[in-house]
Amino acid sequence: MAFDAIFQPITIGRQTIRNRVVSTAHAEVYATEGGMTTERYVRYYEEKAKGGCGLCICGGSSVVSIDSPQAWWSSVNLSTDRIIPHFQNLAEAVHRHGGKIMIQITHMGRRSRWDGHHWSTLVSPSGIREPVHRSTCKTIEEEEIWRIIGDFAQAARRAKQGGLDGVELSAVHQHLIDQFWSPRVNKREDEWGGSFEGRMRFGLEVLKAVRAEVGDDFVVGMRICGDEFHPDGLTHDDMKAIAAFYDATGQVDFFGVVGSGCDTHNSLANVIPNMSYPPEPFLHLAAGIKEVVSVPVIHAQNIKDPTQANRILEGGYVDMVGMTRAHIADPHLIAKIKMGAVDQIRQCVGANYCIDRQYQGLDVLCIQNAATSREYMGLPHIITPSEGPTRRAVVVGGGPGGMESARVLAERGHQVTLFEASDSLGGQITLAAKAPARDQIAGITRWYQLELARLKVDLRLGTRADVATIEDLRPNLVVLATGGRPFLDQYPAWGFSADAEESLIVSTWDVLSGKVAPGKNVLVFDSICEFAGVSAADFLADKGAKVEIVTDDIKPGAAVGGTTFPTYYRSLYEKEVIMTSDMMLHEVYREGSNLIAVLENEYSGVQEERVVDQIVVENGVRPDETLYLAMKAASLNRGQVDLEALYAAQPQPCLAELEADEHKGGYVLFRLGDGVAPRNVHAAIYDALRLCKDV
Amino acid sequence: MSATLFYGSLTGLVLAALLLALVGAARRFLLWRRGRPSPVAWLGGLAAMPRRYLVDLHHVVARDKAFAHTHVATAGGFVAAAGLLLLVTLAPLPAGGEMVLTGLMLVMSLVMLGGARRVARRRRRPPSRLSRGPWQRLPRSLTVFAASVAGLSLIMLMVTWLPAAWLTGVLGGTLALVLLAGLALGLGEMFLGMTWGGPMKHAFAGALHLAWHRRAERFSTRQSDRDGVSPRSTGLKPLDLDDPDAPLGVETSEDFTWNQRLGFDACVQCGRCEAVCPAFAAGQPLNPKKLIQDMVLGMTGGSDAGFHGSPYPGKPLGEHRGQPGGPMVVTSGGALVDADTLWSCTTCRACVEECPMMIEHVDAIVDMRRHLTLEHGATPGKGAAVLDNLIATDNPGGFAPDSRMHWAADLNLPLMRELGQVDVLLWLGDGAFDMRNQRTLRALVKILRASQVDFAVLGDEERDSGDVARRLGDEATFQRLARDNVATLSRYGFQTIVTCDPHSFHVLGNEYAAFGGHYCVRHHSTFLDELLQQGRLKIAPRPRSRVTYHDPCYLGRYNGEFDAPRRVLAALGIELTEMARSGFRSRCCGGGGGAPVTDIPGERRIPDMRMADVAEVEADVVAVGCPQCTAMLEGVVDRQAEVRDIAELVAEALVLEESVSEASSTATGARRRPRQTGHPGRLVEEASQ
Repeated sequence: MAFDAIFQPITIGRQTIRNRVVSTAHAEVYATEGGMTTERYVRYYEEKAKGGCGLCICGGSSVVSIDSPQAWWSSVNLSTDRIIPHFQNLAEAVHRHGGKIMIQITHMGRRSRWDGHHWSTLVSPSGIREPVHRSTCKTIEEEEIWRIIGDFAQAARRAKQGGLDGVELSAVHQHLIDQFWSPRVNKREDEWGGSFEGRMRFGLEVLKAVRAEVGDDFVVGMRICGDEFHPDGLTHDDMKAIAAFYDATGQVDFFGVVGSGCDTHNSLANVIPNMSYPPEPFLHLAAGIKEVVSVPVIHAQNIKDPTQANRILEGGYVDMVGMTRAHIADPHLIAKIKMGAVDQIRQCVGANYCIDRQYQGLDVLCIQNAATSREYMGLPHIITPSEGPTRRAVVVGGGPGGMESARVLAERGHQVTLFEASDSLGGQITLAAKAPARDQIAGITRWYQLELARLKVDLRLGTRADVATIEDLRPNLVVLATGGRPFLDQYPAWGFSADAEESLIVSTWDVLSGKVAPGKNVLVFDSICEFAGVSAADFLADKGAKVEIVTDDIKPGAAVGGTTFPTYYRSLYEKEVIMTSDMMLHEVYREGSNLIAVLENEYSGVQEERVVDQIVVENGVRPDETLYLAMKAASLNRGQVDLEALYAAQPQPCLAELEADEHKGGYVLFRLGDGVAPRNVHAAIYDALRLCKDV
Repeated sequence: MSATLFYGSLTGLVLAALLLALVGAARRFLLWRRGRPSPVAWLGGLAAMPRRYLVDLHHVVARDKAFAHTHVATAGGFVAAAGLLLLVTLAPLPAGGEMVLTGLMLVMSLVMLGGARRVARRRRRPPSRLSRGPWQRLPRSLTVFAASVAGLSLIMLMVTWLPAAWLTGVLGGTLALVLLAGLALGLGEMFLGMTWGGPMKHAFAGALHLAWHRRAERFSTRQSDRDGVSPRSTGLKPLDLDDPDAPLGVETSEDFTWNQRLGFDACVQCGRCEAVCPAFAAGQPLNPKKLIQDMVLGMTGGSDAGFHGSPYPGKPLGEHRGQPGGPMVVTSGGALVDADTLWSCTTCRACVEECPMMIEHVDAIVDMRRHLTLEHGATPGKGAAVLDNLIATDNPGGFAPDSRMHWAADLNLPLMRELGQVDVLLWLGDGAFDMRNQRTLRALVKILRASQVDFAVLGDEERDSGDVARRLGDEATFQRLARDNVATLSRYGFQTIVTCDPHSFHVLGNEYAAFGGHYCVRHHSTFLDELLQQGRLKIAPRPRSRVTYHDPCYLGRYNGEFDAPRRVLAALGIELTEMARSGFRSRCCGGGGGAPVTDIPGERRIPDMRMADVAEVEADVVAVGCPQCTAMLEGVVDRQAEVRDIAELVAEALVLEESVSEASSTATGARRRPRQTGHPGRLVEEASQ
């Protein structure tokens, strides 16, 4: 049997889990009404259970105490009995499909924010500030310690009463338990610190209290880190000793292991390894913990592929694999393995759109799967075929919005023709994949390519569609996802010209696509601060150019998320790229064989000059509206989208006009993606899904 | 020619032919008897023979109506005319009686003559399945015999009425001489040929084979007619492993039982077996007709150059020879049959089903496989590994025995070990280890639960039924597995065993009795049919795209269940589009008898041909009822139809209680148009069943 190791059930405590795949705890940012697991939350986990996931550990950083702030990340709140009926809904939905569900419970200690909601005073063993959240805190008092230990027990009771299958005590990510463990944070000299036993004591008392409350027939696990990766933090050997210590109590049913601490920006990036990391980069740390404990060990971190998961399990490194982002990208991952349809799995590409939103307190969303966590709105993971007439649909543009439109329309049973001017699908994804260690983003395109082939979409690559070509196909529906072009002509002083010989500046697209050879001494000016600018800088430096990246924003890559900018910075610093902020590109002129970039400080107005041989400007995308404007008037809906229907994920009213128009040859016109306004991959895919799913 | 001389010659000819034939018969009988003993009811068998001929054999022959009539005329005419000839020439009869009998003889020989002409017509452009050589002269011989007897009858009648002089005249004398010569020729073919090895041997050996058949239980009786059952005998016969003298399978022809040897001689070389053999059609080196003729050469010795039919594909005639007491199967030196011929067989029984002479090809093949496997360890391809797996792990895939229930970890299936007594024991089969079949099993569990059947599984106590071990010739492993399973089953109480695996169904139902296991076993299609009849299964029928049904060999031909699956499909609102080869003539998927593991190369693959059958009727879905068939048919590249087990189709149409159906409503909403192959909607819907 292929994937034999994945489908081996395992017993944790007294629970049998149907396979070895776990959706490990992550903060979803979906709990509403003061931290309750309401409909969106339930449907999100139900979808994973329906898709075959063995165990879901939900509620990353769910709080047990009122002074561990809940609202910043819409965390689940276990500090009140009000949660119990919500847990019952959640447990029932997952159990109905044969899945198991547990929840991570924690007190965040200093790892939170104090400047809102209850204006809590954060607590920590020694009152030392945490840098990632810029959070200051007080030194915790003994009375508070015992209160929180009691809160853990009560929270576990609520999980058990709610019908969940277990709790995972978070002692990872520098929450309160591991704040006590780490000598980097715990400087106490009383019985809660100092010696090994002293530092272990808080966690031990929590474990004892929880176990006493829930008894033996409820799973209690611990999530720990494998190595904090700080010179003054806990090493792998320390963590082995800690794991062995708790294991020896016989009260822990499983250990989840995460490589790396995360109380700095740089270490945080390790915890949810983005696409620049190799597969399972910290497996060895989890395997090290497995050596010293007697209960199952779970490990997540960059395990996205069924074959990889099976190999890890077969090798016996750990007992269960976390495939959490893999399930965000495709909650039906397991079902597709079981059906022998591995090629149909929408694989996580490690873009970390999900987690980077979470760190901003935004709901977790998948860059490529717009249905994830929107199950409650009726956005489908499975597109059911239309029961109405088969339509002829034309999609213009092979970027993410166009590909998703074509996929959804074809799944609906329509005849779909997709025009793409270039020779390959992908749009800007293809460019993004050219940057160093960013190649995996092309996985988004790879999946669409396979799906569009499976769905027999008529792909017209290398064909620029015009109105006549489109109308020749007598479409009922036209979707324009035409994208745009780099917006280099915003300021005439930059010296852009459509004539490449004349133009003083080039775009990041020119550089990444290889259309323009890298210069030797290059200035990258980036007013956008998302991926394209830093990608182009990294790309140029990688080709041997001396690069300075300049922005008028607060820092280069400012809009790149918290788990992703650190890996860009590592790469840029290593290649000695100079990063300059607060400077606007004021003017460009030619001087001999050189180019002069005049930069002006945003705050002082002082100008500086750079003598370079190439100036690359990233100034976002200007939509290509030509086709839209040419077709708008003739379309049945004049290109307009009904926003109320769109936001409610309801069928567009203009589709009814199509029914009425039968045989008259009219068409409905939608446009989406950067062809409307420059947004991002998710925005294009989301609009494509919600506009096309009811056609 | 004087009348005395005429009568004298006639009587002499008949007497000589009869005596010589009897000598031949005795020699042939003794030849058969050189096989191993097999007790038969000597007289009872002979008494049952006419009924077996007229009912059971004719049932097979009558599938070809035109030829059945031809055969009735020819054979019936011959038997009557020959009997009368013996009476008229050898028995002292009153003159009046002799006249009547001669008249009758004239009529019967004319009937035979009519039949013989039709045989001749068929032989003009014979289909490739028919043997040529001496078989081509048979219509002439039949004609000559029938015409001669008719002519002689006429003469005998005329002698009475006409002046004796005409017979002594030139014309009459010549005519009588010609007719006597014709009779001599005819008697040579018809009497001597029967027992000395001509084409007519089939009649003599065939009649005795019917009388002393090794599987007397396969024939209908008046009792079976009254009970309305059509008897079958399809389980393999056990080897007596405790008898130190019994050979382990068949090495030389003499290791066959004597009545198996008799059966080989019954072959009429009609080639119906060849026409239906999936291995032959796939260009694998097997032709059941040739195999039986090789078995004959094993008795008599000689080269296969004298075979006048289609050779084993890829194996020219004249390169193999046999001798009495010599090896049948090529292991090192020369012999009659190459091993890959035997391993090409899928044990689908299409040949046995079609054989008008009731020959048991599959028994012979497995007998020789037993020798290869048990004495030489020469199971080819992955066969040896499969047997090793069975020995080590009790399952052919070599999976950890305690992983048998992994597929059901989230289903909380009731275990026999815990319940002890239930209505239905759900036998999982080794499909429990196969991800595809697990979907069928989960669908079946869903159905059993929806219809509130009181059931349990053996769980890790279940072992492989032994089907594949037995068919690969490893009788020892089969018997061990059978005994172990019987011992396990004996600890529990249940009314019925239900399984979705026709191979387990067959083995448990038909082959465990020899080891003390007597069970009521139901294939799931039969059981689902019963649930539907009892109104215990609520189905929302819905029209589907074109569906055809593939009869699994071990359900259909082996066990006669053709109707229940069709009734279940009809209950789902499916109007079946039947393939040309369906029912008892269903074409094997290629998955039986260990053929997928021995994997003998051919020119085509059997499952490809079966999916071509499906494509021919333009079906979008082929419904199946067997894990092997599912695996084989799904393995076909670029297949246009989906392969769905009946249980999956039923589960999909189940009307469930509100709370359960709500969960899958998003995925199962009614659809008007046929769905794409591998539609993702199905993926999660089925995998999460």
